Amino acid sequence: MAAAETPSAALRRRDLCSRGIRLARKMRSDVADLLDAYVERQGLDASASVAALDGVPAAAAERWGEQTESQRLLDNLAAYRAFRALLTEMLEEQREQAAPADAALREALAAVLLQVSAFAYHLEELLRLESRGPPGEEGAGPPAGPRLGLFERKLRGLGVLRELAQWAVRSTRDLRQLAKPGPGGGGGGAAAPAGPAEGQ
Amino acid sequence: MKCGSMDWDAAVTWTANGTDIDDSRLNGSYLVLRNVDLMQSGQYSCYEGSSWHLKYQTYLRVGTPPKEPVLMCRSNNYPKGFYCSWHLPSPTYIPNSFNISVIHGTREMVCEKDIFPKNRCHIRYLQLFSTVKYKVTLTVTNALGKNSTTLTFDEFTIVKPDPPENVVAKPVPNNPRRLEVAWQNPSSWPDPESFPLKFFLRYRPLILDQWQHVELSDGTSHTITDAYAGKEYIIQVAAKDNDIGTWSDWSVAVHATPWMEEPKHLTTEAQVTETTSTSTSSFMPPPTTKICDKGAVVGSGAVAVCWTAGLVLAAYGVLFI
Repeated sequence: MAAAETPSAALRRRDLCSRGIRLARKMRSDVADLLDAYVERQGLDASASVAALDGVPAAAAERWGEQTESQRLLDNLAAYRAFRALLTEMLEEQREQAAPADAALREALAAVLLQVSAFAYHLEELLRLESRGPPGEEGAGPPAGPRLGLFERKLRGLGVLRELAQWAVRSTRDLRQLAKPGPGGGGGGAAAPAGPAEGQ
Repeated sequence: MKCGSMDWDAAVTWTANGTDIDDSRLNGSYLVLRNVDLMQSGQYSCYEGSSWHLKYQTYLRVGTPPKEPVLMCRSNNYPKGFYCSWHLPSPTYIPNSFNISVIHGTREMVCEKDIFPKNRCHIRYLQLFSTVKYKVTLTVTNALGKNSTTLTFDEFTIVKPDPPENVVAKPVPNNPRRLEVAWQNPSSWPDPESFPLKFFLRYRPLILDQWQHVELSDGTSHTITDAYAGKEYIIQVAAKDNDIGTWSDWSVAVHATPWMEEPKHLTTEAQVTETTSTSTSSFMPPPTTKICDKGAVVGSGAVAVCWTAGLVLAAYGVLFI
């Protein structure tokens, strides 16, 4: 992995991580509000179960505590790039429906999309600091699937926002791991402290 | 109850806990108990007629089928896992067995039972940050029936740390309005560096009911700066994960009183008149709030006479008579 970090790089990384954590926490708060508004405006049941969705990055992680720093950054970046495309799609669908009462919902969606884009950029900066550089973006949007009916699209939107909310928490945790000084600090690939599923 | 292998028309005597049972309760040699209640638990024995040979003995336990159990699940050691504990709202008076199942999506998880207490088990998280809910079902069974309850929850909602530990509050020397409070993370919280806690401190003087509150996003200490001088305070702290879950219960309460200046000796008028020497250490007002406000006399051009200043002048006046 990368050689030991210079002090200025370490400082820059900690600064990026701190700002990233603040971004992620703000994003989580706004996504929570957006979720409530979305459920209400779309006439959904807040407790409705949504099955795993194609193309929606699941925040759930096994052996999260054992991930390397690079893995964390790459997983996060892939997720937020996917969310950027998914939210863009949701926004377009909302505009097509064009109910005036949904203007506030569209604004909230647009605001979260902006934060997701900003966070993705932030992650790219962190990856550049890792001397890895961010990977290229494959494809312009989410995988094209069969055209869903209105209700299915609403449920899918619910699933997208729920996973995004979980990702915002996970990203906060990931960045805290990255910000920690230690043997793995400074762009090293050492595993973070073990989380759940120890010994599995 | 049948008296062993005795015929229906055999002459028998039944006892309950050593006391003879009246023949009116017998149907032939059978003992019939109606409207059974808890008081009728005990040892029942049946003896043959005049020989008093013991023909049958049994212990009757009167109980009830189980009511719906009370189930609670909580993670006080996130992200390691969570525990569930349960109890019955009322006793059944007969042995019960408990079975718990934990489902996460399509996966059934193992809940490892604690040796003590017996009504608790632990589950290790196999995944973090999952949107899939956990479904925990507890079934209680006894000889008279069964009952169950189910809890469904998200990973985040059950996170509740234990209260902070070793809370200490101390006065600050030479500062009558301050108290320094320090505490530690609960020892059950496995990784406070990666999963930091935030804290809520509450404090009040014992003589008042209203609490003051302070929320602290980091650190395990705080200085109270607005304590009432000389008043004993009660202080407690609670903890919460920075991002998820709910607040812990309040910590054990600690008491502290802000620093107070040592009271100086008051010199009485009689003592002053007895002395002929010019003592200058006669009277110092106690460290109470000033009666007059400095700000009120600024720019007046007049002599500001505060009560304390007046008393000092009087004392010195007496000295020099």
